[in-house]
Amino acid sequence: MTRYVMVIDQRRCIGCHSCTVACRVWNKLPLDIIYNPVVSEGVQGTWPNVHRNWTPLLCMHCENPECVPCCPSGASQQDDDGTVWVDPKKCLSCKVCVNACPYGMRDASHMENRMHRFVRKCTFCRDKRQLDPDAQPYCVETCHQKARIFGDLDDPNSEVSKLIGSVKTDRIFTEFGTEPQIYYIPCLGGQA
Amino acid sequence: MAEISKESTGFKDLVCPDIVSTEVDVNAPGVEMVKSLCYFCHANCGVLAYVKDGDVIKIKGDPDYSNKGGLCCRGTSALLHVNHPARVNHVLKRVGEKGEGKWEQIPYEQGIQEVADRLNQIKAESGAEAVASAGGTTRTDDFARRRFLNLFGTPNGFHNALLCWIPTFMTETCVCGWSPFETDLGAAKSLILWGMNPGASSLPSMRGYTDLQMQTGLKVIMVDPRYSETASKADLWLPLRPGSDSALALALLHTIIFEGLYDWEFVEKWCDGFEELQDRMIDYSPEWASTITWLDPEQIRAAARLYAMNKPGCIQWGCTWDQMGRASTTVAHALTLIRAICGNLDVPGGDGMPGPAINYLTDEEMELNDRLPEEQKAKQIGSNKFKLTSWPGYQLISDNAKRTWGKTLPAEWFCEAHGPSVFKAILTGDPYQVRALIVNATNPVNSYGDAKMTLAALKKCEFLVTVDYWITPTALMSDYVFPAAGALERPIIVTHYGATDSVMGGRRAIQPKYDRHDDFTFWRMLGLACGQSEEDWPWETIEDAYSEIIKPLGLPISGWDEFVDNFRMYYPPLHQSKFIDNNGFWTPSGKIECNSTIMRQLGYDGMPSYTGTAENPEDTPELLEEYPLVLTTGGGFMPFHHSEHFNMPNIRYLYPDPYFYINPDCAEKLNIEQGDWCWIETRRGRIKMRANVEPIVDPRVIMCPRGWWFPERDGSADLDNPFGCLESNVNTLTSVDDIDCDPKGGSWSNRGMLCKVYKCGEFDKVFKPEDAQFSIPSSAKEPGIHEMPSDQKLCVEPIPFEMPECTKEVPEGYYWVWQNDGIYQKGTHFKLDDSGWLIDPKTKSYIDAYTGWRYDGNEQCLVDDATGKKYTMERVEITYVAGVRTYPGQEAPYAVPDQLTWDQEKGYAVLGDKPYVYDPNSGWMLDPATGAYHDAYYGWLYDASANCLVDEATGNRYDMSYQPLQ
Repeated sequence: MTRYVMVIDQRRCIGCHSCTVACRVWNKLPLDIIYNPVVSEGVQGTWPNVHRNWTPLLCMHCENPECVPCCPSGASQQDDDGTVWVDPKKCLSCKVCVNACPYGMRDASHMENRMHRFVRKCTFCRDKRQLDPDAQPYCVETCHQKARIFGDLDDPNSEVSKLIGSVKTDRIFTEFGTEPQIYYIPCLGGQA
Repeated sequence: MAEISKESTGFKDLVCPDIVSTEVDVNAPGVEMVKSLCYFCHANCGVLAYVKDGDVIKIKGDPDYSNKGGLCCRGTSALLHVNHPARVNHVLKRVGEKGEGKWEQIPYEQGIQEVADRLNQIKAESGAEAVASAGGTTRTDDFARRRFLNLFGTPNGFHNALLCWIPTFMTETCVCGWSPFETDLGAAKSLILWGMNPGASSLPSMRGYTDLQMQTGLKVIMVDPRYSETASKADLWLPLRPGSDSALALALLHTIIFEGLYDWEFVEKWCDGFEELQDRMIDYSPEWASTITWLDPEQIRAAARLYAMNKPGCIQWGCTWDQMGRASTTVAHALTLIRAICGNLDVPGGDGMPGPAINYLTDEEMELNDRLPEEQKAKQIGSNKFKLTSWPGYQLISDNAKRTWGKTLPAEWFCEAHGPSVFKAILTGDPYQVRALIVNATNPVNSYGDAKMTLAALKKCEFLVTVDYWITPTALMSDYVFPAAGALERPIIVTHYGATDSVMGGRRAIQPKYDRHDDFTFWRMLGLACGQSEEDWPWETIEDAYSEIIKPLGLPISGWDEFVDNFRMYYPPLHQSKFIDNNGFWTPSGKIECNSTIMRQLGYDGMPSYTGTAENPEDTPELLEEYPLVLTTGGGFMPFHHSEHFNMPNIRYLYPDPYFYINPDCAEKLNIEQGDWCWIETRRGRIKMRANVEPIVDPRVIMCPRGWWFPERDGSADLDNPFGCLESNVNTLTSVDDIDCDPKGGSWSNRGMLCKVYKCGEFDKVFKPEDAQFSIPSSAKEPGIHEMPSDQKLCVEPIPFEMPECTKEVPEGYYWVWQNDGIYQKGTHFKLDDSGWLIDPKTKSYIDAYTGWRYDGNEQCLVDDATGKKYTMERVEITYVAGVRTYPGQEAPYAVPDQLTWDQEKGYAVLGDKPYVYDPNSGWMLDPATGAYHDAYYGWLYDASANCLVDEATGNRYDMSYQPLQ
């Protein structure tokens, strides 16, 4: 089996937003839709004892996604490899899934044209991977710092498996029981 | 029409059948992949462009290039740039008033001819020097600009070079013979990043640093007043007072010297004037520096020890060094001496000095500098003041480089007019009236200092031509605007300002759209239209010129595109510790010159001494009451590059408004909250920015981003502030007064000035013309010209230099170098050896002083490398027949086999009357007509395919021991 996950190495992220822009350019998103924002609380502490950290976000492609079973039309679905996606042709734009996602990673804006109404979200670049099974999502490919690492968790030799097996990783909001599949390597000190 | 299937939800399928995938299939038939390079900053990341039917359908980062597939937001947006609706696509000729924005669209050739006619007219009336050209950063094919200017006859080309590397490069070259800018990080233990933030300005380098920190434990020392992206990943961070870098650098040098942390052996063997330097540094203790830099003396000592005791180590050049105004070259000077005395120059793990490209043509060889008459060189504006980076200093440094390396730096970048002085000359006519300005790849209002003076100059300029992608504030004021080809539309060569020995390249993915042209084509067409000859512009396309540049590499390629396809980059073999092989550094004296002779010859101090920035608490305490805060400006910040990309919404959304940085403690005192619009005011004017309240800078510091303008506005609506180019542009606050500029390099004041900040009031929130009115000098209270540029003083007086008496007899055609008491041939700059031979510094080979032919020790002959002909030591041409050396008119110099006869007239041994030549090296006879081998007894032809001999007369075949074969 294949289980796609992403590891985000916050020790390496420098907040350049390249991933955000690459995602939007190649997925042809309108200006105000962002699948993968990079958020930061800014510089924290008291000068000069300060620190800063960036947290790249995206759909968590949960093991038990809340957004899939709630969909009345079956548009919101999950592939066997874990990818959660929305079939635009089936989507009724009822937005139930938008409310269901605890991470706020679905977007229901740009619904002015009735025929183009659908909920959008990160699909780990599903259409790109359909054309080329070895392809990496755009946000991963474009990252200079190699802070985003994508791969198959079920393959013990993949980089993501090795990292998750050897370095302390965190996941966000595990208390909801959705089993998010984005693993964060936290930046604990000032240095990489 | 698509069928309605069971899977579909009906009507949606019919109306929007393609909404599932936005993906482009790059493996589809008819799609070609082209190796290109990104063109949105000088990292020039590798890009793979996928082209179909003459259009790029997709790009991605090249995984086999230094960016390893990474592309930042600018690189990723290349397709949006190519097709941006606001791009200038045709030549625009002004038809309304200046700045009115009324244009007539004309064909490219017509535009070129009209501009050329006007330039020629100005040249005839006022001399060629009345035409100047402004550039920005190293992005275009600048050798072509210089070639045009040299042939046209004007010395007044300039860039923002003085804010970016060039003063540092020249200072370093004075001290050690070339800029030690190639860090060998893989083998380094420590790295000082000083005033640079690769985390926002050079992402491939940042990845390299992060990798090494994790893999080899490289220690990164960060010097930056801001807690930058890079500082947040550093091992030691020194948040100094902005502009106090010279004090910190001197204190580090002091600590390393007086704690004995330097490389004693290296200093003993390779450094000249170390005792003098020691005496000079005695007062610059960490305690002295701590009051200026706000750092703890122990922090300074820790940094000095971390660098000096973790050898080998690197100090990476940072742009800040060149932007400090008066103190610029002091910083570069002190840091180079630190590298040198720690023995970190040109060694594995240290700072490498590549030298000029020996294996391919340097930019300098493409510039035709010898075509610019000496009297025109003397007219270069600013060269009487800022000598290190203009003709006086360049000439000394360049001649020295030719003597030591054999080649030299380009004049473009390294030998330029002083940009702000050219703008002042446009306004004042002093030292003479500059009437025409060709602006290529820059928007001077936003990128040069004192924006209000620059804007006034551009408005006043009699004839202004701009080559750009967009209608910038500068383009708006122009008489002609030419469309420039951008990324993907032009091939790119990367040779780091023509100052290194490696080369990287990219192809153009598509021909330029519309009437856009690459800059080489612009300069070439303009040159030809001005009457320059085809022979002076022998390359029709930029690819042809690039091919010429790399031809000496001798690669099996037919042109530039093939070089990119098959090689893409060329690195010479690893070359470190060259100074040992060379038995000296590449300075005039051959040593590291702690007290630089070139600087002294130019009338400057040869050693660094403390210089503060333009305004600071020590030198101008009277300003502190009114302007209590320190202002620092610039620095690369994502997502913009200089003043570019403000008109791309896809990028601009990341940083939509001009935010400045202010510490929460300071903001609280001033009652400023996050996002408030504030005035930032110096003696020179005020601008409006929004507050970003974060403990990212010291509570006493304000940090502003650079280059802001508002392309979304109607530029013509407010010509006092077109496109808001003054309103939030921090260059409105910077100073280009001569007294605030670096006396050697001429870089102007961008860092460490004094300012005040206050919230925009209800009745005081609109930017008005009186907020930013130009004056010369810029600190004058009333607008207007109060002081002529020629009357402006430098911050130091020149130190008279007395050339030592020459004690040697110098032959005609030779000159004497006082530093090493050597005699060199004029023109070639080869050294005249005591033996009477010349020595070529490139190859270390001996050259005949009369003919210029190289001595070949193997064959004991002279070789004319230009023609390939060889000569005897008596300078008689050596002749060859069928590749065999002949000795006409001489006795046989080798034993002639008995069956052969020596033909003295021909000079070789023959077999009977056969027309063959005997080759004493192989023992075979050679047919001069065919080059075929024949045996030396019977003259039978050797058949290599059957390994036998053939008697051509009879057709009989024989084996190699002359036995007949069936």
